[in-house]
Amino acid sequence: MAGNVIKYERDNIDTDVILPGTYLKLHDYDEIAKHAMEGIDPNFHARVKKGDFIVAGKNFGCGSSREHAPIALSHCGIKGVLAVSFARIFYRNSVDGAFLLPIEIQEETYKKISDGDELEVDTQKNEVRNVTKNEVYTMKPFSEIVSKIIAAGGLFKYKPD
Amino acid sequence: MGKTLFEKIWDNHTVEEIDGRTLIYIDRHMVHEVTSPQAFDGLRINKRRVRRPDLTFATMDHNVPTNNRSLPIIDQISATQIKALENNCKEFGIPLFGLDSPHQGIVHVIGPELGITLPGITMVCGDSHTSTHGAFGAFALGIGTSDVEHVLATQCLVLDRPKTFEIRVDGTRKNTHAITAKDIILSIIKKIGTGGGNGTVIEYRGRAISDLSMEERMTICNMSIEAGARAGLVAPDQKTFDYVKGRKYTPKNYDELIQDWRENLKTDENAKFDKSFVINASEIIPQVSWGTNPAMTADVTDVIPSPEEFAKGDASQENAAKKALEYMDLKAGTPIADIRLDRVFIGSCTNARLQDLIEASSVIKGRKVSLNVRAMVVPGSQQVKKQAEELGLDKIFQEANFEWRESGCSMCLGMNPDILARGERCASTSNRNFEGRQGSGGRTHLVSPIMAAAAALTGHFVDVREWV
Repeated sequence: MAGNVIKYERDNIDTDVILPGTYLKLHDYDEIAKHAMEGIDPNFHARVKKGDFIVAGKNFGCGSSREHAPIALSHCGIKGVLAVSFARIFYRNSVDGAFLLPIEIQEETYKKISDGDELEVDTQKNEVRNVTKNEVYTMKPFSEIVSKIIAAGGLFKYKPD
Repeated sequence: MGKTLFEKIWDNHTVEEIDGRTLIYIDRHMVHEVTSPQAFDGLRINKRRVRRPDLTFATMDHNVPTNNRSLPIIDQISATQIKALENNCKEFGIPLFGLDSPHQGIVHVIGPELGITLPGITMVCGDSHTSTHGAFGAFALGIGTSDVEHVLATQCLVLDRPKTFEIRVDGTRKNTHAITAKDIILSIIKKIGTGGGNGTVIEYRGRAISDLSMEERMTICNMSIEAGARAGLVAPDQKTFDYVKGRKYTPKNYDELIQDWRENLKTDENAKFDKSFVINASEIIPQVSWGTNPAMTADVTDVIPSPEEFAKGDASQENAAKKALEYMDLKAGTPIADIRLDRVFIGSCTNARLQDLIEASSVIKGRKVSLNVRAMVVPGSQQVKKQAEELGLDKIFQEANFEWRESGCSMCLGMNPDILARGERCASTSNRNFEGRQGSGGRTHLVSPIMAAAAALTGHFVDVREWV
């Protein structure tokens, strides 16, 4: 996976800013996606490109259980969010619905990556390569079951061995 | 070694271990209109049925209008979503407490009210505040739409075993009218932070928790998610058993069940928690949030902290506090009591039960809402509304110029027309002060119902200990 970084230097990016409550009425995923990140970044939908990554601090996706949050990001083209940590429900929703990869990175990595950097993510080697800065970082490996659900393409396609 | 209450419930509901996770049986599933439509679509596409419609209960709350219910819903997109839940419940045989039902209300208010919530059960809902039901000694957690579909189809959920977190609230409150359950939970979150409970299930214990009513325990458990916890619970006691007795869905073998609950639903004396935090209720005073997450909270007698004071050397916290003050249009050093308000909202699954409305009404009798403030009361359910009206609370609120509305989530999350205008500042009894939560550009201060009521009357925050 390769793409450019949209970075937010913030902890606790909550699901109300990822997708404000007023858009939870919408049923169509592409309509929902038009309002992604609107709470803190009204230009997000205009500037995001297919394959981009979001980079942020701790506790990304805290708050409401709305699955519309990872849906909004994924239907804008976001393939992965790299954060120092994730709130539990957002993490689960991202994986179970196969919307995007929630990638845990170290605090130092979060600080080193800049807005606009080009990244390559290799979940086999658990590596994040920063093409722009010519650096390589490690990502926290997914747990066994999370890897299997991701490989299957979501919770409903996953079958235990 | 003994087990904690949570560990006992977990073990009782374990179906099997799968790839390092546990398949957990779910006893009760509450469904609402916002997080369920895609789940029902999934069932239809895959030709699945709802495995246990008899253990599934639905209502509409997030998106419903709170004004005159005899009129059609103006917002067509909202109307479509509400209609979809009606159709889905009909198609899949799920009991629904619809807009015309006397049992309609916020899922987390009606679950306990109807006896759906019981001690020792597992419970889920596509809503993060499902933690509320933990007040009955249940393991109750919020899930997303994929998991809603999974539970509808299988009545099970695959979960990682959480760690256990004891939060002990010792001592007694100095003034049980002015200092509420909301102040206890805000004080806890202020200390442990929004990630303080990550990966854990909290058990609230101690004298000050035992002293609380069921409604107050629900307020505490409700906000467990704001500390990042998967769930929060309180061991059931006589108050719990009395509350559950004789409700619409209370099991017929209640008398047998309470024997079992009494003997088994408690943490063993020799059990060990993975983590502990202790706070003394005698040190807690009324709380007001000043920032954009619930940990950004201060005593009502304090001034707004500077980002440096708040962050205590943590650069990202300092940055967050700066952004919060900017968004909230507040300056460090301003006394909390000097913050002027435009709106007051008494409602939400945190604080819209009968006791909350009684407490709020206790300070307003014979007074009027400040001319600069628009204030509304949104009861948590139609039952709460009816009981409040039987006590004449609607008259007390309306005579003071509060709007008295129909039940729903309303201005807690700004989905229906009850929203803040850009720049408006609100004292709110809800649970989240996130940016834009109550409407784009709106500014939220979290407080207890009695603090919100007092603020409505004066137009600014006051220390209600001076009033009651």
